[in-house]
Amino acid sequence: MRILRAAAAALGLLAGAAIAPALAATDIDFFFPVPVQGKLANEMQALVERFNKENPDIRVTAVYTGSYDDTNVKTRAAIQAGRPPAASMQSANFVREYVITGDAMPLDDLIRKDGAAPADYMQRFWPALRVNAMEGGRVYGIPFHNSTPLLYINEAAFKEVGLDPAKPPSTWAEWVEAAKKLTRRDGTNTTRWGLMLPATYDYLGWITSGLVMSNGGAYYNEYWGGEVFYNTASTIGAVQFLDDLVHKHKVMPSGVNDANAVTNAFFSGRSAMMVLSTGSLSFVRDNMKLPYRTAFLPFNIAAAVPIGGASLIIPKGNSPERVAAAWKLINWFVSPEIAGHWSRFTGYFAPRIAAYDLPEMKAFMASQPDAKVALDQLAYARSWFATYNTVAVRKALEDQVQAVLNGKIKAPEAMALAQRNADALLKPYVDQGALKLPQ
Amino acid sequence: MKANRAPVRLLVCAAALLWLVPFAWMAVAALRPQVAGALDAASLLPTGPFTLANFAEAWRSGRFPVWYLNSVIVCGGILAIQCVTVSLAGYAFARLRFPGSNWVFTAFLLQLLLPPVVLIVPNLEMITRLGLYDSLGGIMAPYCASAFGVFLMRQTFRSIPRDFEDAAQVDGATRLQAIRHVLLPLAAPGLAAFAIVSVTAHWNEFLWPLMVVSSPRNQVLTVGLASFTASAESGADWGLMAAGTMLVAGPLLLGFLAFQRRFVSSLVFTGLK
Amino acid sequence: MPFDQGGLQDVCRAVRQRRSPAWAVAAALLAPSAVFLAAFTYWPILSATLRALTEQRFGQAPSWGLGNFTRLFADDRFATAVGNSALYALGTIGPSLLLALAFALALRESGRLNALLRTMLVLPLLIPLVAAAALFTFILLPGGGLLDWHLAKLGIGASNWLGSPDTALGAIIAITIWKNTGYYMLFFLAGLAGIPEEYHEAAKLDGAGPFTRLRRITLPLLGPTLGFVFIIALLNALTQVDHVVTMTRGGPSDSTNMILYYIYQQSEQNMDHGLAAAATVVSVAGLLALAMLALRTLERGIHYES
Repeated sequence: MRILRAAAAALGLLAGAAIAPALAATDIDFFFPVPVQGKLANEMQALVERFNKENPDIRVTAVYTGSYDDTNVKTRAAIQAGRPPAASMQSANFVREYVITGDAMPLDDLIRKDGAAPADYMQRFWPALRVNAMEGGRVYGIPFHNSTPLLYINEAAFKEVGLDPAKPPSTWAEWVEAAKKLTRRDGTNTTRWGLMLPATYDYLGWITSGLVMSNGGAYYNEYWGGEVFYNTASTIGAVQFLDDLVHKHKVMPSGVNDANAVTNAFFSGRSAMMVLSTGSLSFVRDNMKLPYRTAFLPFNIAAAVPIGGASLIIPKGNSPERVAAAWKLINWFVSPEIAGHWSRFTGYFAPRIAAYDLPEMKAFMASQPDAKVALDQLAYARSWFATYNTVAVRKALEDQVQAVLNGKIKAPEAMALAQRNADALLKPYVDQGALKLPQ
Repeated sequence: MKANRAPVRLLVCAAALLWLVPFAWMAVAALRPQVAGALDAASLLPTGPFTLANFAEAWRSGRFPVWYLNSVIVCGGILAIQCVTVSLAGYAFARLRFPGSNWVFTAFLLQLLLPPVVLIVPNLEMITRLGLYDSLGGIMAPYCASAFGVFLMRQTFRSIPRDFEDAAQVDGATRLQAIRHVLLPLAAPGLAAFAIVSVTAHWNEFLWPLMVVSSPRNQVLTVGLASFTASAESGADWGLMAAGTMLVAGPLLLGFLAFQRRFVSSLVFTGLK
Repeated sequence: MPFDQGGLQDVCRAVRQRRSPAWAVAAALLAPSAVFLAAFTYWPILSATLRALTEQRFGQAPSWGLGNFTRLFADDRFATAVGNSALYALGTIGPSLLLALAFALALRESGRLNALLRTMLVLPLLIPLVAAAALFTFILLPGGGLLDWHLAKLGIGASNWLGSPDTALGAIIAITIWKNTGYYMLFFLAGLAGIPEEYHEAAKLDGAGPFTRLRRITLPLLGPTLGFVFIIALLNALTQVDHVVTMTRGGPSDSTNMILYYIYQQSEQNMDHGLAAAATVVSVAGLLALAMLALRTLERGIHYES
């Protein structure tokens, strides 16, 4: 008996010694969305495993939490339950709302502790990304991967109708003309559409904001989260343009199509052009067997596109150890090497300017002209729509645009309705902000 | 009458075949090799090469073992606690006369009309307050009392003559002993029926577990499948999605086909009593 | 005379009465269930009511008031959700009960073919609704999906079933009917089996045709079963939103928004807990009212039979 007991004790000690270093590691969880496609989730897990190996004192559990909207919901629920994740990847335009509700930690002190001034630190990232990353002059979200909407065109279809794929449409007028030529009908059936774009929640708002910006509009107040400009000429014009594409020029199918349907149609040749995120670049590259090319989003008044993508935040309520570990993870993610790797794997562009100086990245960009297009469009990129109660205010517009695409309502009336609904949603914030005056 | 049967028979056969179509597609697509942009993804004809690659990929990229285990723990745990709570409460209503028993029974029955998912928001707060957020216990907690089970047990106990437990009590058994050793064995069919209904319902539960759990290690089958198919769909990996769905649907389907009669009579038994 | 009812029973009653009073025993036996019921049914109703009556707008201190309810009833989206839920309930309960009854009537006799057909109809019951949603996402895919692909063979053009507010709710309803009809059929089968054959024989002798027998004998005696299945179908219609959560997220243009999904949206997406609580209170009240109505019909049916 005694020998057994001693052996058990020894085993216990050994086991404890083996476990102890692991126990000493800081355990953190990291919520991430993958809005595009499943292989990205696996790659993220692989990346996190690599981080864990390189940093034995930290153990990160990566939690795939669905779409951008789902990840937002999950993160907030976890914060409410008193169990905030150490780091969370949020849609870049959600950062503002996390600051408004007081749920995100300002990262300035962490930056300073590393020996840099916040302003200098942000110089590491493309200028267009900085607006969404900061609020009130402080840094809250570190850009992780970013995108802009791109126009993908089917080269064979272009040649077939006498268009030059090397000169894709750059204005709305050229766009409509090309789409009309590319649309093929067989009686009442359309066998090939000129253009398709995803019109589901989140995607639709993003693309619409791009069209509004291309139409000279601001779309939202980038300085303060209490205002949106739905019921303005630039927005009404953009929505009317979408309406015309479906009902007047008949180059786009009616109804709400999701990204799957859009890519499906493009791959099978049932659609000659599509508007899709640069984040889908590698997905398209892998699946599109016909020759294709990418181009800037066409404009009406001036070239302008919103950025998309995600930023990394640290929710409030984490212990200093967790915060330190999360900060290490975040900086590892945005190191030129890792950022470049993720960019090459996904098609998102690396927010870190230095990533493009690395030889692998240079070689990649030289061999992939479509990735270069995405990067070049950055010169025209502006910030992403972000307000108080972003999702609901965004949906106020999206529901109306979906109705327009379905022929249920016309653009002017739709936008008036959208503005009214959005203002009702923004009212509490406005009442405590711009309309709160000294007594 | 015989003359009328044929067209009716035909109609029903057609309907049943229609009903089977989604499953037929699921099986065919799961076994079909993946070809990106394939135009025949919708074909129901099982032609061409068959492959198990989709199942292998689904098993690899999903976390089916964890999801299965969690679902089993949740359903088993709920059932175990329910057996205790519904037996005791069912006995109380079946055998005991006490003032206000009708009111209390109605209060119990009210829960029949208010499945926990309707009260999802306050229940989530309660779970959080109890420190059960993001845990399997949190998923199980609201279901541990089952008005349905109480109702069923009451009916079942009522249909058992008192003589058996009276005899036991005269022999000196306590009430609890009488319940455990005399009544429950006699009520076994009812309890078994309840068990099947309970497990089926909780195995397929989605919204509540979705809200309660965020860590991957605590995900149950439904939540895991939803995230799995969402990522498979966004890659247009229909074969993968079909294979993953089959991995989830498989056990219950096989169990049903094996124990059909028991299954069916349980579902019906609980409904009618 | 104390022993004229049956000696054993009276002895036992005397034995029982010497122990603790009935209500104390009852309390002890009911306690486990009661604790859970209190924690997860009654307390939540109370807390939701309290939260619904607490107005808390951004940046302001909380206060009592009916503001959440006024906002709720003024919200177009809530009205839409209620309307959609009503449409959904009608669209699922009616057809699935009718179909289930029809299938049960057609397949009630034993036989291998019947058993096979019954099994085929019941299979959907066994998979989670999210699994059904996954399958139907492909089936309803515009252009390349199962439905459109086969319809194209018949010359019918592609439709965007889930992408148009006109058809999205119909698609969701179809999925629910596919999923639940077999389940309801099982109850009807058992109900039909409970009708003694003699009734039908006697009616046949009296010269009653099949439809008369259906109307006069079968349906009335099926009353309790109908009532029971109706309540289950109603509860399902109001609580099964898994497919909305995974497929349409309430869209397009709110056309598949349901009451439960609205509550989920307000609470999780908009973080408007007051509004979510108000909607919860209203839906609980509505559910209870509807179910009481249905229960009363069920009671009447039971009395008829006995």
